[in-house]
Amino acid sequence: MRLSLVAAISHGRVHRRLGHGPRSRLDLLRNLVTALVRHERIETPWARADEMRGYAEKLIDYAKRGDSDERAMRMASFWLTEKDLIHKLFKVLAPRFQPHPGSYTRMLHIPNRDSLDRAKMAVIELKGNPFPPLIRPRRDSEKTLLNQLLKGYREDAQRAAGP
Amino acid sequence: MAARWAYRGLRGGREGRRFSSSVSASGLTSDEVIQMRNQLFTKEKERQLSLYPRIEKIEVKYTGKSHPGSVFVMNKALSTPYNCAMHLSEWHCKRSVLALVDGEVWDMHRPLTKSCEIQFLTFKDEDPEEVNKAYWRSCAMIMASVLKRAFKDEYSVNLVKAPEVPVISGAFCYDVILDSRLNDWKPTKDNFRSLTRDASKLIHKDLPFEMLHVEAKVAREMFQHNKYKMEMIEQKASQDVEGLVRLHRLGDFVDVSEGPHIPRTSFCFQYEITAAHNLQTSQSELIRRFQGVSLPIHLRAHHTVWHKLLERSKRLVTQETSMEAAAESHEAKDETEEGKTLSV
Repeated sequence: MRLSLVAAISHGRVHRRLGHGPRSRLDLLRNLVTALVRHERIETPWARADEMRGYAEKLIDYAKRGDSDERAMRMASFWLTEKDLIHKLFKVLAPRFQPHPGSYTRMLHIPNRDSLDRAKMAVIELKGNPFPPLIRPRRDSEKTLLNQLLKGYREDAQRAAGP
Repeated sequence: MAARWAYRGLRGGREGRRFSSSVSASGLTSDEVIQMRNQLFTKEKERQLSLYPRIEKIEVKYTGKSHPGSVFVMNKALSTPYNCAMHLSEWHCKRSVLALVDGEVWDMHRPLTKSCEIQFLTFKDEDPEEVNKAYWRSCAMIMASVLKRAFKDEYSVNLVKAPEVPVISGAFCYDVILDSRLNDWKPTKDNFRSLTRDASKLIHKDLPFEMLHVEAKVAREMFQHNKYKMEMIEQKASQDVEGLVRLHRLGDFVDVSEGPHIPRTSFCFQYEITAAHNLQTSQSELIRRFQGVSLPIHLRAHHTVWHKLLERSKRLVTQETSMEAAAESHEAKDETEEGKTLSV
């Protein structure tokens, strides 16, 4: 079998190739992580957001260690190109996510970009940000049939357990 | 008269008939009563249809949120709110259970008679109280039609009424007076299972609920054999302005009803008849209250939740318990309101 054919077909390969090369890919992701920490909600192509998500969450895990930790400080200074954000990361974001064990970001789909490339876009945000929510889950009202039946069941159980 | 005797002779050869019907001319066997009611219903329906020989157009304005400002041009006394929903989308047809026509609650398959404003009610509205009541009424009617057919021809089944129970009580009920020979009969789990199976057959047949406003004397002719239904007809006729009585038909079962019903039986998804209790009354005959619980396809429940609701529905539901529950919920609401004002 020709080796060149194997190189051309990429079935089942999970690692994405962004930008001009591996160094360029890391720079791209670094810029995106910086933007996320600065603005807390950004719109980017879906592949870049997906790639960046893991790095952002790992960075927050490092930040949770505290700023006296040497490794954490070096990671933060590598990943955040704007140095005032290091303070924000350790003093604002780390305490905010201290009670959560993982999953600090939320990623949702967005209509395709308007320009010629019609790229698949996503919005990625840090949870607990001060902006209005992206989606509001609509709960069924209290008065629907199922909710009324369940309410009656709960009240009966309370009445039986209470006195 | 001769024709009626000949008709009975033809039907005499059916198996399961141990005695021929009694001598009186009116059909006392339940099958013939059902046939008679059906024929009267169809005749009345055709008569009401023939009142409008020429098609006249009416304008129906849609006041819902989805397509604001739409106006439908429909036929008078022929088009139904379901036809209006067909003009909007399939989603509207499948979801809407009742229609709000000029502020009044209408069945989906009841013809519109004049230009009006229309809105559709679904199970998931902000305030689906009317929809819930209609669903409970329809489930009770399905249970009544199952009970009417369930027993052998020799035992008489007299349907009394469907008490208007609120949904929060946990079960819909129908009061029945069975034959006096069945006074000591206690229905077992297998009996309930077979009744539920009959009900599921009805639900899968996807029968429509046909509605008709008839004058009190036609209704009296239909239900002459059942004194409880006669009382209900008198009561309804005295309450109504024009003396009209509301009748609903499901397949071949006709009944007097208190309000609108759901459009088709396929709207029920989970349906079970759970219990039968004997009501203590001063009357000599034993009134039995059959209870059941059901959920529509739009609001299905997981089987664990469903079994809990089944267990609860086996308990006797009376007007007092339902009013107690309503009073308690009102008390709870008042307490929370007081608590809020105190904290502020």
